[in-house]
Amino acid sequence: MTAPIDSTVLWLTWRQLFAKRRLYLSAAFALAPVAISLVFRFTSNDLANASVPFLTSLLREIVVGTLLPIAALVFGTTAFGGEIDDGTLVYLLVKPLARWRVVLTKYVVATACTLAVMIPAIVLPWLVVRNNDLPWQFTLAFLAGATVGAVVYCAIFLALGLTTRRALVIGLIYVIGLEIVWSRLISGTKSLSVREFAIAVTKEVGNGAVQITDAVVKMSTVWTMGTILLVGAIAIAIRSLSRYEIAERL
Amino acid sequence: MTAALMSEESSSAAPAPTPDARIVLRNASRWYGNVVAVNDVSCALGPGITGVLGPNGAGKSTVLNMMAGLLSPSAGEVLVNGKPTVGRPEVYKTLALVPEREAVHSFLTGYEFVRMSARLQNIPDFDAATKRAVALVEMEGAQDRPVGTYSKGMRQRIKIAGAMVHQPDILLLDEPFNGMDPRQRLQMMGVMRRLAAEGRTIVISSHILEELNDLATNVLVMVSGRLAASGHFREIRRLMTDRPHTFTIRSSDDRVLAAALLADPSVFGVELTPAGIVLRTADRGALTRHLPRTARTANVRLLEIRPTDESLESVFSYLVER
Repeated sequence: MTAPIDSTVLWLTWRQLFAKRRLYLSAAFALAPVAISLVFRFTSNDLANASVPFLTSLLREIVVGTLLPIAALVFGTTAFGGEIDDGTLVYLLVKPLARWRVVLTKYVVATACTLAVMIPAIVLPWLVVRNNDLPWQFTLAFLAGATVGAVVYCAIFLALGLTTRRALVIGLIYVIGLEIVWSRLISGTKSLSVREFAIAVTKEVGNGAVQITDAVVKMSTVWTMGTILLVGAIAIAIRSLSRYEIAERL
Repeated sequence: MTAALMSEESSSAAPAPTPDARIVLRNASRWYGNVVAVNDVSCALGPGITGVLGPNGAGKSTVLNMMAGLLSPSAGEVLVNGKPTVGRPEVYKTLALVPEREAVHSFLTGYEFVRMSARLQNIPDFDAATKRAVALVEMEGAQDRPVGTYSKGMRQRIKIAGAMVHQPDILLLDEPFNGMDPRQRLQMMGVMRRLAAEGRTIVISSHILEELNDLATNVLVMVSGRLAASGHFREIRRLMTDRPHTFTIRSSDDRVLAAALLADPSVFGVELTPAGIVLRTADRGALTRHLPRTARTANVRLLEIRPTDESLESVFSYLVER
C-alpha cells in the first residue's frame, strides 16, 4: 500500500511555501502578537487585572480571528496557485504519482505551515503576560481552536487555489465578508464560519479557563459542518486536479 | 517509409497499425472552445526519432501534450503502448515529457530538480540516477546553482536531465533546442541519437526545419492543426525544396527576356509586371544555371534576381495547399 503522503512532494511544497519573501511575511505574522503583548506588558498600569481580558481579546480577535484565516489563505492558495501560474505543476503531473496524493500532501503542508505560524502567535504572548489567572489550559484551548480552524480553512483555500485563478481575492472576500461581517450581523451564518468553529472549540477545550461569555456555535454544528466543509473541499480539490489539463497559449 | 502528402481524404484514414508502434493517434482532434488546435490527426510512431515540424501555433504542443496524457483528445484516440494516457499516472514510468514552457522551480538547484524527478519516479538509488542524468546533459558544473540563475539553454538541458533520469522508453520533447547555443545543440543531438539507437521512441517538435536536419528520420509536418505531410526527413525536405519557386527578375528588356525564358523547360510560368518579370519554376537549380545563358543569347542585361517567397511559412502553406 502506498502512503497517502508523498515525501518528495512534501519537501517540494515546503520549499515553495517557505521561499524567501513568504518566510519573512510568516515570521512577521508569527511575531506580531508577541510584540503587541510586550507593549502591553510594559505600559499597562493594572497588569494583574487587565492581563486576562487583554490576552483573551488578542488571541480571539487578532490571532484566531484575523491571522489564522489570512495565514491559511496565503498557504492554502499558494500550495498549488504558484505552480499553476508558472507552469511548473506539469513536473508533478508527468510522474507515476496519483493526483489525489499530490492534493493530500499539499494540503498537509499548507496546514502545517499555517500551524507553524499560529503556534508562536499563541504561545509567545501567553509567555509574556502569563500569571495565575492564565493557566496553560488557556493557551491549549486557543491552540486547539486554531488547529481546527487551520484544518478546515486550508482545505477550503486549497480547493479555491485549484479551481480559480483569483483565489486570493475570492478568499479575502470570503474571510472579510462572510466571516467577519455577516456572521456578526446574521447569527445563522455563524454555522458556516470557520472562524466561529475555532472560537467554539476554544471555549469547549478551555472549559472555564477561557472566558468567552457570548453565544458560540454548538459543538455538534462544528463537527458536522466542519467535516462537510473539510471533506467537500478536499474532494473538490482532488477532482479538479484529476481533471486538470495543461492550457495551451493560443 | 515513403513520404506522403495528406489530402483531405487521406488524412482522415487511420494508418495501418504497425507492430512496433509505441504511440498511435487515431483521428485525434482537440479543440478549446471554438478554436480547433488539432484537427483529425492520425499517425503511428515507433522507435527512433520523429520530428514534429510546423510553424508556431500549428498544434505541435497540443499533439505532444495529448501524447503525454496532459490533454484528452476532444475526438479520436491517443494511445501509448496500446492504452490511453489520460488519467493513468503509471504511464510515466516509461514516458517522459520535456515541456515547452521554460519555467522550472527556480528556488531549487539543478541537482535538486533532477533528484526530485528521480525520487518521484521511485528510483531506489536516486542519487546515482541523478548524477548520471546531469552528466548526460553536461550540467555538472552548474548543478549546485539555483535554476533561477540559469540561462535559457541551461534550463532546457536540466529539464531534459529531469525527464531522462528514469531512462524512459518514450521521450517527448517540445521545442527542446530553443535557447541552446550551437555547441549545446550539437551535443544534445548526439545524446538524442544515442538514445534512439538504444531503441527508444523520441518525438521532438520544432518550428525550424534545419533543427531536425540529420536528426529525425521520420517527420510529421503540421500546419493549422492538420497533419500536412509525413514521411522520411529527406523526402519531406525534397518536397519542400522542390516546390515551385517564384522569382522576380528585372532586366534591360523584360519583354524579350520573358519570351526567351518561356523556351526554358524548367520554367512553367512567366508574367510581365511593372516591377519586372515574375517567374515560376519547379527546378531552381536548373533555372539559376540557365538564366544567365538565356539572357546573354537574347542580348538582355540582368539587373536583379530576387526569390519572392522563401519563408518557412510559405513552404508549410504550400504543403497544405497541394
